[in-house]
Amino acid sequence: MTELSESLLLFLITAASLVAVGVYGFIIGPEPLRRILALNIISAGIFMLMVVLAYRGYDSAQATADPVLQALVLTGLVVALSATAFALTLLARLEPSSENSAPEGPEQ
Amino acid sequence: MSLLLFDTLLCGLLVALALASVLSRQLSHAVILYIAFGLLMALVWARLAAPDLALAEAAIGAGLTGALCFTALARQGQLTLSPRLSWQQRGWPALFVLLTLSGLLLALLQIPARPGPLPALVSQELADSGISHPVTAVLLNFRSWDTLLELLVLLLALLGTLQLAPAPAQQHSWALSRSWSQLLAPLIILLAGYVLWAGASQPGGAFQAGALLAAGAVVLKLNKQLSWLVWRNIWVRFFAVAGLGVFVIVALTAWLLQGVTAEPIWLRWPPEHAKYIILLIEIFATLAIAITLTLLVVAEQPETPLSLARAETAGGRGD
Amino acid sequence: MIILLLVLPLLSALLMLLWPRIAPLLALLSAAASSMLALQLLLQVAEQGSRYMLLAGWPSPLAIAWQADTLSCLLILLTTVLQLLVGFYAFATRSRDKLGQGFWPLSSLLQVSLTALWLSRDLFNLYVCLELLGLVAVALVSLSGRSAVKPALNYLLLSLFGSLCYLLGVVLLYGMYGVLDIAGLARSWQTDWLSSSALSLMSLGLMLKAALWPLHAWLPSAHAAAPAPVSALLSALVVKGPLFILSLLWLQLASVAQAQAAALLFAVAGLAALLFGGWSALRTPFSKNLVAYSTVAQLGYVTLALGLMLKFDQPLIFAALWLFVLAHALAKAACFLAVGEMSATLGGKRLTTLKGASQTMPLAMFAFAVAGGSLIGLPPSGGFVAKWALLQGLWLQGELLLWPLALVFATLLSAAYVFRVVALAFDRADPVAPDFAPQVLPQWLALLPALAVWAMALFSETLLQLLRLEAL
Repeated sequence: MTELSESLLLFLITAASLVAVGVYGFIIGPEPLRRILALNIISAGIFMLMVVLAYRGYDSAQATADPVLQALVLTGLVVALSATAFALTLLARLEPSSENSAPEGPEQ
Repeated sequence: MSLLLFDTLLCGLLVALALASVLSRQLSHAVILYIAFGLLMALVWARLAAPDLALAEAAIGAGLTGALCFTALARQGQLTLSPRLSWQQRGWPALFVLLTLSGLLLALLQIPARPGPLPALVSQELADSGISHPVTAVLLNFRSWDTLLELLVLLLALLGTLQLAPAPAQQHSWALSRSWSQLLAPLIILLAGYVLWAGASQPGGAFQAGALLAAGAVVLKLNKQLSWLVWRNIWVRFFAVAGLGVFVIVALTAWLLQGVTAEPIWLRWPPEHAKYIILLIEIFATLAIAITLTLLVVAEQPETPLSLARAETAGGRGD
Repeated sequence: MIILLLVLPLLSALLMLLWPRIAPLLALLSAAASSMLALQLLLQVAEQGSRYMLLAGWPSPLAIAWQADTLSCLLILLTTVLQLLVGFYAFATRSRDKLGQGFWPLSSLLQVSLTALWLSRDLFNLYVCLELLGLVAVALVSLSGRSAVKPALNYLLLSLFGSLCYLLGVVLLYGMYGVLDIAGLARSWQTDWLSSSALSLMSLGLMLKAALWPLHAWLPSAHAAAPAPVSALLSALVVKGPLFILSLLWLQLASVAQAQAAALLFAVAGLAALLFGGWSALRTPFSKNLVAYSTVAQLGYVTLALGLMLKFDQPLIFAALWLFVLAHALAKAACFLAVGEMSATLGGKRLTTLKGASQTMPLAMFAFAVAGGSLIGLPPSGGFVAKWALLQGLWLQGELLLWPLALVFATLLSAAYVFRVVALAFDRADPVAPDFAPQVLPQWLALLPALAVWAMALFSETLLQLLRLEAL
């Protein structure tokens, strides 16, 4: 197992920390909007991890960054945006009904 | 050495912004901090030799997600401070997260410094893909099935949103911003066209171009322009669906044209026409992405019988 | 043929968006055609063996891999048939339920996403399929209007969190091995900290999405809040998607040591789900929640079978796992349709509105009882076949005491909650009067899958044989 360069290691640790920060935010909440932001921070962390992994071997003379991983990140970005947009619409619908909503059943 | 210093600064700022966004007690601060975080992330990705992604992240991660969050904030009306959490409510999750983080870091340290076999394979097959930019080639040729499903995810988010969209908040536009946005619009269309075209050989492509167009359209929509851009309009619906539709139909045609060979291959483009096929798919995908993203951000209540929304006034209020 | 199974519902969904007026017709037509194609595909694959495909014609690690084996084809057939049935039900009750035109394209898209998922053997493509499935499911739940917004949002957030956990695992594996297709990964798999943590991250995410025991809390409220045809699809099909990926990961990727370590955890989670789900189903005052808790319990059987499969590596147990899935899908679709029909007609969400239902709506009640028989595992239903295969597998391994005893106890618990409903329905003293004359056609449609699950017993030999082959 060859050594990762210093700055690559730094970026890896940052990406992992971002995921951790996002998970923490997702757990403590408390507002749904904050949970949605936290999910976005987690996904940003994961995408950053992918970008860093794609950068491996870039410094050697001929190679480019891994295009497969970069394409996956693009796909992932769109998926994350779609999910966020949908979640925010649901959230917008949640607020006015929260006062007069009838209980639908036992909340688990 | 100075580069390492720069990197350290970037990383420290990123983590600090994310933490501040999670911990701030006011939601509007959290959103602003998140947008700043997204922009900085784009910078980091540009530093990591991923200009395509930096472009997309700036448009999406910071731009559109930020716009969406602000719309959500505006709908919420008056803002209150989040409740202060007790020590236990903060402590245990933090402990759990730190343990997970250390586990994750241990795993990350095992990752080899050499990339896997795929990048080499991509550059080896690139000549046959019809596209000289490797990321676009992966997206629209090597792993085009992912991209097709991704367009479907985007369309689905729009369907879900239309089905639920609340009435738009009444807002009036401002004369100066209206004329400024009208000035901006042709520039954005030009720029989007260039980004799309450049995608074949340089960073860029359907997705970034679509996001750019959408950003322009959102600005115009917010200034009460583009009144035709609504789901009720059959042409808007047609182009929103056409991104996927053209993709599928082209794939189906290519599949059928492979003739009576033993096993026709799904999504295989004939190498001599690949370039034009991909361009065709990209043009329609760009339009579809732009329309879908715009409608996602500026969601409005559809009112015709054609609408997807259920009869909310009849069903929802009754019980 | 496989392509048509994907393209047909996709194109018809797009057409439905353009011309919403013909949506029901298109949806039913495409579901019917897909069912025929799926049956044909299953017969072909059973005869000629499974097919491995590389999409877009590129060499192996670069292209996305598909595999159509008998299990995938069986699941595709199940998906299309249930889609057709539920489509008919939704069509028959369209004037009453006000599902809205949103239902039709969404249900076709659900079929697309499930079919894509059953076929895919590429970790990242599976992620996209998972997200697609999650978004369709949430959009379907939110069809029932305001009351469903809160559970839908909750479902969406947890489902997104689950997908991100899965994605993180995929990224770790890609960083280590540099490939994404499952066959390629299995070849270079090593047992170390990275692969174990990636596996556990992915399993965590998938278990959250499949509502397996400690992570099931979102399921009852989400499934109960959805309209009846949607709950049927969700319980019967959607939770099975992540489960399928979970079994792929553990049975094809994990090394023996990893599998052994996880086996007991899965088995215990399964048992706990059986006990907890059964107990909650016994106590809940709402009829749809009862059926939803029963889903939690029945998923416990599947988890238990997965755990035992990892421990003993016995093909019969593998067959039992998927028989449970098939039997539960059919039975639960019948249960949700029957209960939905009864609570719509009798006008109430509480269990007590079903009082005397055997008199007012005998057909729907019969459908529920028949499906319940399979959930309990009465011979010769599909549920019984699955349980019998599991017991037989344990027998072959010389496990005679502990696990069989647990199975018996779980059976008693599920019998208790099914009889809770049946006893109430046969209380003829003072039946709840229906709000309007009960419709006959939807009740028959609810009965159909219930009968199908008993008919599974007729094909039990063939099914066992087909599924056992896949385990090797």
